[in-house]
Amino acid sequence: MKEQLAELLTKGRAALSAADSLEGLQEARVGLLGKKGSMTAVMKGMGRLSAEERPIIGSLANTVKVELEDLFEGRSKAIREQELQQRLSSERIDVTLPGRTAARGSKHPITLVTEEITEIFSSLGFGVEEGPEVEQDFYNFESLNMPKDHPARDMQDTFYVSDEVVLRTHTSPVQIRAMLKQAPPVRVIAPGTVYRRDSDLTHTPMFHQIEGFLVDRDITFGDLKGILTTFITQFFGKGIGVRFRPSFFPFTEPSAEVDIQCVICGGSGCRVCKKSGWLEILGSGMIDPEVFKSVNYDYQKYSGFAFGMGIERIAMLKYGVNDLRLFFENDVRFLRQF
Amino acid sequence: MIVSYNWLKEFVDFDLPPEELSHRLTMAGLEVDAMEYLGAGLDTVIVARLESVERHPDADRLTLCQVATGSDTLPVVCGATNHKVGDLVALAQVGSLLPGDFKIKKGKIRGQVSLGMLCSEKELGLAEEADGIMILPPGLPLGQPVFEALGLKDVRFELGLTPNRPDCLSIVGVAREVAAIVGRPLQIAHQAPIEDGAPSSESTSVSLEESGLCPRYAVRLIRGVIIGPSPEWLVRRLEAVGMRSVNNVVDVTNLMLMELGHPLHAFDFNRLRDQRIVVRRANDGASFATLDGQQRVLCADDLVICDGLGPVALAGIMGGENSEVGPETTDILLESAYFNPATIRRTSKRLGMHTEASHRFERGADVDMVPIALDKAASLIVEVAGGTLAQGMIDCYPEPLPERQLTLDVDKANKVLGLKLASDDILSLLRSIALEAQPAVDRSDSILYVKITAFRPDLEREIDLIEEVARLHGYDQIPVTMPVSRMICHRPAPQQRLVRQFRDAMVAGGFSEVINYSFIAPEWDRLNLAQDDCRRQNVRILNPLTEDQSVMRTSLVPSMLESIARNRAYRSLDLRLFELRPVFQPQDSEELPRESLRLCAAICGRREPLGWAQGAEDVDFFDLKGQLEGLLSGFRLGAVHWDSSQSETFYHPGKSCILRHSSGLLGSIGEVHPQVLEHFEIDQPVYLLDLDLNALFGATVTGRNFQAISRFPDVCRDSALLVDDMISAEQVFAVIDQVRGRFVEDYTLFDVYRGSGIADGKKSLAIRVRYRSSDKTLTEEEITTGHERIIKALKKQLGAEIR
Repeated sequence: MKEQLAELLTKGRAALSAADSLEGLQEARVGLLGKKGSMTAVMKGMGRLSAEERPIIGSLANTVKVELEDLFEGRSKAIREQELQQRLSSERIDVTLPGRTAARGSKHPITLVTEEITEIFSSLGFGVEEGPEVEQDFYNFESLNMPKDHPARDMQDTFYVSDEVVLRTHTSPVQIRAMLKQAPPVRVIAPGTVYRRDSDLTHTPMFHQIEGFLVDRDITFGDLKGILTTFITQFFGKGIGVRFRPSFFPFTEPSAEVDIQCVICGGSGCRVCKKSGWLEILGSGMIDPEVFKSVNYDYQKYSGFAFGMGIERIAMLKYGVNDLRLFFENDVRFLRQF
Repeated sequence: MIVSYNWLKEFVDFDLPPEELSHRLTMAGLEVDAMEYLGAGLDTVIVARLESVERHPDADRLTLCQVATGSDTLPVVCGATNHKVGDLVALAQVGSLLPGDFKIKKGKIRGQVSLGMLCSEKELGLAEEADGIMILPPGLPLGQPVFEALGLKDVRFELGLTPNRPDCLSIVGVAREVAAIVGRPLQIAHQAPIEDGAPSSESTSVSLEESGLCPRYAVRLIRGVIIGPSPEWLVRRLEAVGMRSVNNVVDVTNLMLMELGHPLHAFDFNRLRDQRIVVRRANDGASFATLDGQQRVLCADDLVICDGLGPVALAGIMGGENSEVGPETTDILLESAYFNPATIRRTSKRLGMHTEASHRFERGADVDMVPIALDKAASLIVEVAGGTLAQGMIDCYPEPLPERQLTLDVDKANKVLGLKLASDDILSLLRSIALEAQPAVDRSDSILYVKITAFRPDLEREIDLIEEVARLHGYDQIPVTMPVSRMICHRPAPQQRLVRQFRDAMVAGGFSEVINYSFIAPEWDRLNLAQDDCRRQNVRILNPLTEDQSVMRTSLVPSMLESIARNRAYRSLDLRLFELRPVFQPQDSEELPRESLRLCAAICGRREPLGWAQGAEDVDFFDLKGQLEGLLSGFRLGAVHWDSSQSETFYHPGKSCILRHSSGLLGSIGEVHPQVLEHFEIDQPVYLLDLDLNALFGATVTGRNFQAISRFPDVCRDSALLVDDMISAEQVFAVIDQVRGRFVEDYTLFDVYRGSGIADGKKSLAIRVRYRSSDKTLTEEEITTGHERIIKALKKQLGAEIR
């Protein structure tokens, strides 16, 4: 039987090695080690062996079996690997073909900038308030220290709905409405749409502003500088030059115009900054005592500052948009860029 | 306001270069909008003397000149005829670049070498027109740049002044600021004029009937003037600040206007009837011709200057034609006055007349300047136009305006500004702009008394002085600090969060946001709106820019369709747009309209962008409906009824519906009516939705409850139902919902089929029902029983057949 087993092993090795597909290999294995295979046939002779021979032959048969099984496993793995390699090398897609896409949406740049500014001020503890766009003269002008015959009204060309109702010319009336609703401390920003009767290359009759104000005890002009400088560095990046210079608004005193270093030329002077190196982006100031009077805040006890900025202007600087009118033409070739 | 660098130097001694001055003025609140260098780049145009002038050998109209430049003698060919030997002329040397990018080159003119050009005033930008070349006054040094030699080298600053600073509407006013900036005194001298005529009171009188509207009115009489052109210096002076010369008398009043900021007016004395002045209110309805030739209708609110019979000037705004100074004028009555700002403003606004005079008077002139400006002007008129000045000024100032004194609390100033200035610091700051400030010795060290001069009408309260302190100290000197403020919760209102979520959801759905003007044309017929539709009631703007922008919109739909049309005109055909903005609906009992947020969205064109692996179909109703369903389910709105029994007039009646919710009407959705599309010149189907966001927010459920998920397997059963074509999906769903047992997890309508194999008037609906239990594996029997119950109900209630 020894010889038989040795022959089986030799035959088996050859058969398994010769197989070049998984099916062929499986067939060879069944022929060798299956129920009706060669090994079974050889092992039928075990009964005829002596008690001494039996364990020796048994152990030998087992060794042959194990070797053939291992050979089978190894071979099977190799063939699978080979087949896989073959499949992988034959399958190809052109990955440079464009993918399946759906239409991409976009927020209006005015919305994007409004959201970003709102986010910065929210993180500084400012809440968001809104107010009507068709507004009473009282809130838009009168309560903001702009009585009817005041020359300051010339600064803003107004659309009238009636003698007492206007399209708001700024977001400042929200300041009044918010302060009438709550006692200090207040920290509010008010984004919104405003209207002025002006239409040319650099003016649209409708545009957007963000108003902001803070009232509490002991608020100083230095604090105004602090908050606005923080905002500017958050929005435009660290290292940008900021300057505050005297100006006039009827509802703030002292009033300040805030300029940033020109983001186009870096301050060396260009067409956008009219060669000054500075760009005006904000109006601000300490809230005028007259305004406090209109909202019944005690000027002796509280102080505060307010500021306002035009969103379109900031969006133009941020994105390098060179024509204001693009914001309201709603051309998707423009809108989809945001 | 334009100021000249050289002119400023006459009033204050400073040596800041123009660029530095510009920066310092801006930082002091007098913003320099623009600077213009007069004579810049013209240094190569020099003074030269004509040594010889000969006719050009080959051209009759040209002369060949030899000009001495001091260091050289050059040949120049010249086409003018007004020059002779010995004249000083302006020579543009070779290489000069004259205004208009005109470069002077070495050349030969008709065979003769010419090394430069003799310039006219026009060529140097000094005049609009010129007759011949410029002949310079004798005595100028040869070789010196012409602009320098003539003192024309100057820098013009254009100031963008704020309305609170009328004091800076003059050279002197700006010079006062410059003086404060450089810490030097303002040099201004008042000289009494020489009077050698008869006393003015013998010839004329002033009757001031409205001392409230005109607190001060003064005149001087000059007889025997000769109206003519102004001398060179006066013309140049006015040009320096951008004014054109008219005649000597008018030029003097304009010079005073610019230099002192005080508007004056000259009457032709002999044209004044009764030769006297009455200051009074106009008669209601009176008509009056102003200098500009316009006929003005006046009212009793207007202040007029009258002679013995009627108006001769609109006070503080413009003189009248009937008393205008002309070439024949010999006697002049010169007016200097102070008018009540509000009166001037009302009249100027009502008549739409904005003049240099009204601009100053309505912002507040300097009452103390009345006699000073009058005296100086009178002297100058005698100087440039001859004549004799009558003795005495008639100065009506019945009730002098009260002197104003303010107190300033140094501690308060420091507290508002975040500074630590001492009283002395503040005193010297205020004194630098000619305010008389003293410590209040009777009160405390930290209180100051400040006398307000008449030229600063804007300083009315302590805070105004605090602003001056900040301004003069320098805003950039105020330390940057962060506020210490008590904490408050400022969480965004739920609505604000929802608006943002809505926008985000639309963008995620591939929509681009548009922003259209809130004012539109009131052309509601374009939407086929019913005549009694409330959206035809609009807030109307009284003074619109155009009729297209004359009413506040009550619907976002027209602008949306315009946006679609405009984009299609630019060949952007596949569009998904939305707008989320308020509309304005007038309310009967309220002054202000109701502003409510709406969402309008529209789609057209291809469903997917063109691509090798993309579908080629166009969008339809269900694309937009799907987007809307996504929005609604995102906001947990519960049951929404798609009610096709009603719709908006701007939709296709068979392909649209309104959205109902238990809380009310939410909006509408549909295919835009072909007729409406035609009105907007759109030739492709457009699907549109229009939602009332306030209603939607009201219906939104914010809380969420977790539903346990089952760990047992599901089984699906599909059925194809043949139903009448008129049966709606909603009816099928209602039946299923009614009989579904507890094992139905969900169901889906996954196919709708009409066509071959299906009888006319019928359709096939395929539904898949998913069964699952939360606590066991379902048996075949349980599933079959459940499914048969559904099929039976569909058969019975809707006449469905199983295919």
